[in-house]
Parts: sequence; C-alpha cells; structure tokens
Amino acid sequence: MGYAIEVNNVIKKFKRGSGLKKREIVAVNNATFEINEGEIFGLLGPNGAGKTTLVRCIATLLIPDSGTIKIMGKDVLKYPLFCRRQIGLLTSGERTLYWKLSAKDNLKFFAALYGLDKKETEKRIDYLMELLGLKEVQNERVEKYSSGMKQKVSLARALIHDPKVLLLDEPTLGLDPQFARFLRDFIKNVLNRQERKTILLTTHYMDEADELCSRIAFINQGRIVDCKTPEEYKRDLPHSEVLEIKTTLITNAKELEENLSKIPTIEKVNITTQNTITHFKIILPRAEQVLSDVISEVQKYAKILAIDVNEPTLEDVFIYITGRRLTEDTKEELELE
Amino acid sequence: MNFKAQLRIVISEFQKSIKIWLAYPILLVFWVIAPLMWLLPFIFQGKALVGGMHSEAFKNLTGSPNYLPFVLIGAMVSTYIFSGLWGVGNSLREETYWGTLEYIIASPASPILVLLGKTLAEFLYASVNVGLQALLATLFLGLNLTITKILPVLVIVLLLVIGFYGFAIAFAGLTLLIKEAHGWVHTIEWVFYLFSPIRYPVEVSPITKTLSALIPLTYALVAIRTIILLNKNLGDLHKIIFILLIMDIVLLLGGYIIFRLSERRTKVAGTLGQY
Repeated sequence: MGYAIEVNNVIKKFKRGSGLKKREIVAVNNATFEINEGEIFGLLGPNGAGKTTLVRCIATLLIPDSGTIKIMGKDVLKYPLFCRRQIGLLTSGERTLYWKLSAKDNLKFFAALYGLDKKETEKRIDYLMELLGLKEVQNERVEKYSSGMKQKVSLARALIHDPKVLLLDEPTLGLDPQFARFLRDFIKNVLNRQERKTILLTTHYMDEADELCSRIAFINQGRIVDCKTPEEYKRDLPHSEVLEIKTTLITNAKELEENLSKIPTIEKVNITTQNTITHFKIILPRAEQVLSDVISEVQKYAKILAIDVNEPTLEDVFIYITGRRLTEDTKEELELE
Repeated sequence: MNFKAQLRIVISEFQKSIKIWLAYPILLVFWVIAPLMWLLPFIFQGKALVGGMHSEAFKNLTGSPNYLPFVLIGAMVSTYIFSGLWGVGNSLREETYWGTLEYIIASPASPILVLLGKTLAEFLYASVNVGLQALLATLFLGLNLTITKILPVLVIVLLLVIGFYGFAIAFAGLTLLIKEAHGWVHTIEWVFYLFSPIRYPVEVSPITKTLSALIPLTYALVAIRTIILLNKNLGDLHKIIFILLIMDIVLLLGGYIIFRLSERRTKVAGTLGQY
C-alpha cells in the first residue's frame, strides 16, 4: 500500500503589513510527512501553528513557496484536477453552505462541480442523507438547520464524489459535545473502518487526536516537531507524572517559573494565566519527592487554590516537546527579518 | 471533464443563482421597478429644461428631436450592463461571504464555468427586467418598439453583453485580490454614465465624445437607437458590429487572462477565503 498524501519540505510564507512595516511570516516551515492509504493521521498543534495553512496547500487552495505535495502519487501543482477529485474537504464553521438552498440543492450543485451525472448524484445524495440521518429534512432550507445538522450537510458535501482522501480541518470546533461525539464516531467507524478513507485530521483537541488517529504529527510555529503513534508519544515520558497547581494573586510568574525549573528532577514547567487564575503544569518523574519544595516556592509568589497529580496526556507530551500548550494562540514568533 | 459535465456545471450554477434570487422576492420586485424610478427624474428634468420632450438642440446632436425614447433606450440597455457588473463582477465576493468560494475553488470545476452560469442567470434576469421595462415604455411612454426591430436589437445586445461579461469576469477575478467590490462597481457605473451616451449624447463635450469611443456600450447604444429611432437595419450598422466583435474578442480573452492571474496571485498570497 502506498502513500495517500506526501508532503515534502513545504514552506509557506505570508507577507503582512504594508510599507516600512511590511514583514514576512513563516506559516509552514519545511514540513515533511507521509500519510498511508486508509490511515487517520492527526495534525495536532495550537491555534496559528500552521495546520490550516498546510491543509489549504494540500487542497490546492494555496500555492507553497517551495516543496512538493503529492496526492495518490501525483503532484498537486502539476495535476490539480486529478488531486482535487481525490480530496473531500471539511472545515469548521457554519458558514460554508448556501443557506437559502436545501441540503439536497446544495449537494446537487457541488456534485455537478465534481462531474457527477444526474443518476450518480441522486444515488449519492440518497445514500449520504440516509447515512447522516438527514433524509426527512433534505428539502428544507439549510438556514433552518441546527449547527450540527449544517456540519452534517458539509460532511455530505465532502463525501459527495466519494473521495479517497478526506481533509478534516478542525471538524468538531464549536459543535456541542453530543454532536462532536457523533462526528468522531462517524469518522472512525464509518469513514475509516467501513469506507477505508484516508483522513487527515487537524485539531487542537488532544482527546480527539488520541482517540481517532493512528499517527500524530505535532506542529508548532509552522514546524513539524515530531510524528509518532499516540502510544509512542506517551512512552516518551516514561514513569513521569504531571503536577498541576492552580493559583491566584500571582506576583511574578516569570521568576517563579525560573525558580521552579531549578528544583532537581523537574523536567518542564508551563504556566498559563487566564483572568486572575494561573495554572502550572510541571512534568517530573515523581511529584511526591519534590512536592513540599514546589509548594513552598509557589507560596512565595501566589496563593494556591488546588493541587493535583496526574498521568501524562498527549498535551503534556506536547508541552514537554515544545514548552507550549495546545490551547495557546501562536502570535508573532514566526516573523522573519 | 467532458463537455457534458462542463455544461452541467454551467446549468447547475444557473439553477442555483435563480433559486437564491427567488428566495428574496421583494428584492426582485425592487429591481423591476428601480430602473423606471431612476428614469423618471430625467424625464421630468428634460421637460423642465426644454418645455417638453422635443428639442432642436437635441436633434442637432443626435438626429432625433425626441429626448424620451433616447433616455428610455439608454436606461434599458444599461440595465444589462449594470446588473452584469453587480451580478457577475460581485459574485465571487458573495461566494466569499457565503463561505462557499473555497469549496468551489477546491473542486475540479473551472471557476470560469461557474461564472458562465452566473452570467447566464444574470442575462435572463436582466432580460426579464428589460422586457418589462420595454413593455411599460411601449404602452405608457410611446416608445415605438415593433417586433421587426426587436431581433436586430437583440443581436446588438448580445454583442454588447458577450464582451461586457468578459470585463465582468476580469472584475470578478480582481475582487479576489482587492477584497472590495461595491466602491469599484459604483466608480465603473459613473464612468459609464459619464462617458457613454446612456442619459445624454456624448457629443455635448469633446472629452466625453473622445473617451466614449473606448466603451463598447457607446457603440451598442448608437446602433440600438439607430434601429429603433431612425428605422435602420443591421446591414446599415456593419461597421459598428465589426467594432463590437473585435471588442468582444479582446474583452473575453483579457477577462479570462486577468481572472486566471488574479486567482493564482490570490492562492500565492493566501487571501482566497478572506473577507
């Protein structure tokens, strides 16, 4: 079995600002990975890490500055029509459909764009509407649908031409937990197991990536920093624990972070502040050994609200590798001179 | 993709555009009435200035003393142009607002085929609009529009819109880059109003007369007025028809090239789906 998607040394830069303030941002920096046919591959990283830019390059919506991308063995820039036929695209957000048209009319239009004839179109629409439980409402205008139903129609659109490869860019973002659950089950059991689709899933939800993906690439500031199975990632932190401390009224977070990092056996310290609450994630072999030292250090700078010791998750692995949380936004660190 | 599949894309876009229009019935009624509402102030203005609808000064410039049919024809023909400019030129901006543009561009269909479908829908819409205006103008405003004149007029209209839609396709491509359509459409509208004989003969000023020669609408309006007001036929207008044909070829080719270049530049800049 070959590769469904091959990404080789892809670089994508954007120009931002104007005049003297004009600068270049590296959105994707030398990305390289391959996705096997029939695999669910995750691209996991915080907002602004370059996930969507990479997906858009693969979907031929963006032209990379350098590097190559192949779909089913063919270069997307040399054979764009072939590659587009192999790809089904699903992004987050409600506003990706014609709200004044019914689900059926939306699908009919996009079926025509993919070259399906009338008979094939009817057959695919019937199948997908049945599969996604939209049969009863398929003739109603999309504007009357709930967010979840709209996302189901968007998913049906991505599947209308029965593509081999699916690009799912943050597909559960903004959906209610019940529908997000449905979508995850659908991706795993129907699209991957039954229909054998190759799926590239971008997400910043670690649970989603952990549950669905056979392999995950961590992406941070445009770079692919690692690519492994979820189990391999977790094995990277053998015998480790994560000490989580919730504090308030912190006086000097930076100094405290430095002091905590100096405590023997502590491997990584990550601090995030939201409103007046500051969260610490400390990765270390055994929390019990240094707990009293940590508490006394933290108490010098802040008031402790809660302390917890947990097993490391994928997010902790991400912090361990990049020093950043998945929920952080990427700002201007990607700037070039 | 074979010809049949490409034709299906054009028809699907045509059907989609019509269905979306029909979802806004009040807007449809407005666009039928609006051209006449724009026209009435000029009729009243003409009456106030020359004391009626006939003017010797007007005759010296146009060959016909009758101001009303002149303005009526200008209003009707320009409906094709302006609805095309709004409908086709602005159409990709609309797709951006709907969030559907990226899905069109990510498909194997050429966006030019989608624009062609929009063009056909606009042409139908403008034709219904102009047909109603012509009916009202014939019944209530004394426009002499007989069946024998309609066919040659339609030939000229077709020659006009083919080239103009080439321009609108180029404009649609440019809106992908400039991310703003309304200001530009208004500017183009006023350039057309000023430098082509929609509301007045361009001969009133040497500047308008010279610049009007660059605009296909000028030739189409001169030809249509010659057919309707001076009872000439297409054979008498072979020179104008030739000019319109050349302009059509240039505008269609130019429109295609500009669209493709704009689309590519947008993909490089990464601004395709941006508002």
